[in-house]
Amino acid sequence: MKYLIAEDEQELQQSIKNYLSRDANVCETASDYWEASEKLELYEYDIVILDINLVTGSGLDLLKKLKQQKKKCGVIIISANSSLDDKLQGLDLGADDYITKPFHLAELNSRIKAVLRRGQFGGDDSITFQEIQIDTLARSAYVNNKPITLTRKEYDLLLFFITNQGRVLSKAIIAEHLWGDDSDLLDNFDFIYVHINNLRKKLTTEGAKYIQTTYGSGYKFIAD
Amino acid sequence: MAAVINSLQIKNALQNKTPLLRKASKTFLIAAMVLMALSAVALFFYTQGLLKNEIEEELYSNKERVEKLLIEDQSIKGIPPIITVEQVEKPEGLTLKDTLIYDPLQDEIELFRELSETREIADQHYRITVRAMVIESEDILFAIIFTFISIIFFAFIFLFYFIKSRNEKLWQPFFINLDRLKNFSVKSDKLLTFEDSEILEFHELNREMETLTAKIQNDYRNLKQFTEDVSHEMQTPLAIMQARIDTVMNDEFITERQFEHLSKLQSDILRLKQLNKKLILLAKIENNQFNDNEPVSINEIISQVVTNFQELTPIEFIVKVKGEVEAQMDRSLAIILCNNLLSNATKHNFEKRPITIHIGNNTLQVINAGTTALEKPDQVFERFYKENKKPDSTGLGLSIVKKICDCYGFIPSYLFHERKHIFQINFNK
Repeated sequence: MKYLIAEDEQELQQSIKNYLSRDANVCETASDYWEASEKLELYEYDIVILDINLVTGSGLDLLKKLKQQKKKCGVIIISANSSLDDKLQGLDLGADDYITKPFHLAELNSRIKAVLRRGQFGGDDSITFQEIQIDTLARSAYVNNKPITLTRKEYDLLLFFITNQGRVLSKAIIAEHLWGDDSDLLDNFDFIYVHINNLRKKLTTEGAKYIQTTYGSGYKFIAD
Repeated sequence: MAAVINSLQIKNALQNKTPLLRKASKTFLIAAMVLMALSAVALFFYTQGLLKNEIEEELYSNKERVEKLLIEDQSIKGIPPIITVEQVEKPEGLTLKDTLIYDPLQDEIELFRELSETREIADQHYRITVRAMVIESEDILFAIIFTFISIIFFAFIFLFYFIKSRNEKLWQPFFINLDRLKNFSVKSDKLLTFEDSEILEFHELNREMETLTAKIQNDYRNLKQFTEDVSHEMQTPLAIMQARIDTVMNDEFITERQFEHLSKLQSDILRLKQLNKKLILLAKIENNQFNDNEPVSINEIISQVVTNFQELTPIEFIVKVKGEVEAQMDRSLAIILCNNLLSNATKHNFEKRPITIHIGNNTLQVINAGTTALEKPDQVFERFYKENKKPDSTGLGLSIVKKICDCYGFIPSYLFHERKHIFQINFNK
């Protein structure tokens, strides 16, 4: 997959590039409006990660241009502004998703994958990891073609794990992904233990032991 | 920050107020009445005095005439009861008095004004008495007063309606502009324009109001911009920190202890992010930026929120529904309200005991177990108030609850009863 990361903060841009490149993706970067605009005109991308507040212009204007040119690429807006108006405006202009700073790279990755899966941009509705299969349209999971019953949160968790396979996921990342704004309703993230343990049990019964504990309190989804 | 004025207070204050035009009419009417009464009384006494003088003057001149006649001819007896001439022994002084005399012509006792004096003519004392009927002058007096009152009354009636219609026309631009001001919203990008008037003061008032409202709108926009800027400025460095930590966790070889530290940092960043979000939310509520008011069923919201919480905690939630509670408010704020109340109850619950929620009678109660009452129960809804100094709490949850309540005129309250913390929202307006 080919990504363009249009973000004016160098640090953030490099971190995103670093994280996304690991899945053998090609990541190009643009540090301002003009660079991004030029690259978008010259090359084709599968996914464009677009910061709204680029130093020399608005990401929303770039988005408008992209849609006028009828380019076939997924657009994920990243913005420091969590206001609903901006979000709606971005989505109305044809963005595929909207993510507010600060975000976890794993979260961004899972959003990108979700956009890709919607099919239009060369993705697939079903995900396969070893003997595990996930049908994202039906929101159901299979191990060795045998369906397993998962709760809504367990399904989301499994999908998140597979999307970010091989990466270390802390409890905070998982909690934020599964509960979003509601993740601060309680003082600690102990509540995710229950869901991870349940998922782990269900997978292990079918012989799929991929959820590993790393560094004592983190998780990693990995093939042995 | 715009102060939130309770709509109830406004309503009460308006009840004691009189509309301008009615007040002006009332003042005019009262002034007219007083003026009418005073002038009528004054006219009455003046005319009465005038008539009395007239009568007395006439009596004196009549007496003079009778005297002259009497000098020529002492046999005159007079014309009783108007003029009488009698012989008396001794001279008497001049007397002037009112007297009642039977008038055979009218077969009535009438009031007369009487002037009598003795005169010495040809060594004889004669008492000359002249009288004039008072009743006639009284009739004239009343006729004058009546005419005066009716003229002045009709003049006032005419003036009243004339001035009223003039006032209405005169104040017309004022009322139009007042209506425009009532519909004014700081959130609107449109400048407020007023109906111009030929009256200098109105013109000046309009100009001042236009400047003022434009400034308010500008300040409001700046404030909003400031909130957004702060949020933007804070979120970007946070995003960089977050991304760095994610990278270190995945790319470098780290020890378990280091991971623990990084994990904690992630949680702290999350806390900052949430704090930021809540502060912006508070500012937004204060700026009345939630306008999607609709009838919201609190029962429905609670059942939705409880289902959500059940995934987060093993603590049992007991919902006791006594009746349907509906509030006219923004749906997302209703969810935030319930979320924060339940979150507070869960965080400060004692020994994972069940949390009880009562819905009914226009109130919502969230009850959790506790050991002791709060030290400062009156401050529980204040910003950054923390009873037990829990490090992970932002101290904003309940102040958001309060702010939402203020926004809609709901009444939040706290009570400690039988080792239970009871938070109650009264949705009665």
